[in-house]
Amino acid sequence: MNSIEEKLWNYIDGSCTPQEQAAIALLIEQDEVYRQKYTELLKLNAEFSVMELDEPPMAFTYNVMETIRAEHARQPLKAAIDQRIIKGIGLFFVFTISAFLIYALANINWQAGGVSLHVPAALSAPGIKNFFAGPFMKGFLFLDVVLVLYLFDTYLRKKGLAKMNTNVQTSGQQNQQKD
Amino acid sequence: MQSKLSDIELIEQTLAGNQAAYADLVKRHQRFVFTLAMRFAKTREDAEEIAQDCFIKAYRSLDSFQRQAKFTTWLYTIVYTTAMTALRKKRVDTDSIDDENTFIQIENQTSGYDVNDAENKSRSFYLNQAIAQLLPDDATIITLFYKGEQSLDEIALTMGMEANTVKVKLFRARQRLKEKLERNLKQEAKELI
Repeated sequence: MNSIEEKLWNYIDGSCTPQEQAAIALLIEQDEVYRQKYTELLKLNAEFSVMELDEPPMAFTYNVMETIRAEHARQPLKAAIDQRIIKGIGLFFVFTISAFLIYALANINWQAGGVSLHVPAALSAPGIKNFFAGPFMKGFLFLDVVLVLYLFDTYLRKKGLAKMNTNVQTSGQQNQQKD
Repeated sequence: MQSKLSDIELIEQTLAGNQAAYADLVKRHQRFVFTLAMRFAKTREDAEEIAQDCFIKAYRSLDSFQRQAKFTTWLYTIVYTTAMTALRKKRVDTDSIDDENTFIQIENQTSGYDVNDAENKSRSFYLNQAIAQLLPDDATIITLFYKGEQSLDEIALTMGMEANTVKVKLFRARQRLKEKLERNLKQEAKELI
């Protein structure tokens, strides 16, 4: 701490240690220079505290909310959908394809007896033919339908809320104009 | 009429899809954000653009607000960085942002206040005039400290500085403000004589 002023500002702000605070309080009490400067700074501090804030235009909030709504309306569908859902679907397909590949490779007859690799004419993959008509595929399709319904519901809810907000905003503006 | 809900409650409602809650949040903080923007901008139009931009940015990244600090500290950080970027863009081919004389022409006009009416010129008017003559950083620190209810640590977080640096800057800003206030009042007294 260097100057008297700096010490006194720290005292006024309460940003010095209790020991420093006690020492400065004593100086203010005993030293005339400190007392005068302290009174001057206190007055200045009170003056700074009553500074006025600037008032933004009347339609400020409305303009902000309009910009946000316009941005929402412009947002493409791919940006509106939760990225986790897309990643989940992607992962599911990667997993399914990998499972098929592993299953197929495991069933190939790898006989390295001759020069050429002997691959059986008919790949033995029992169950694959019936796979698409089986309960697994039905379950997958059912999950897809549920997912679509959920997304549609979310979309309708958001649309309803936006409409409600617009009504509230419009009625608020009308009230402001009346006032 | 503004909502009595806390900032955090309004944020939660906004994140749940209620845009009216965000409108309440904007109404609550718009005066201070606009004032901060005025510390950097030359005109009210520029300040309005900066302030609007800040609220839109805050809305976009509301879900990334960690709630470890006050919402206002987070919001003022956005205001400070946005205003600094806007100021640099505007001033890139003109003069230095460290030049105090650059900001002398800025006038802080509060609504409903007739600046030409000599009778209405109070100490508060001269204070606002003196603040407008400060460098943006000085004016921001003074405003955050006296009107933003921000501690030195919070101001440091907002401005991306050390708390000690902010303490020194606040001290210097107060000195400069005092000098400018005295000079403006003396000049006014001379004009009256």
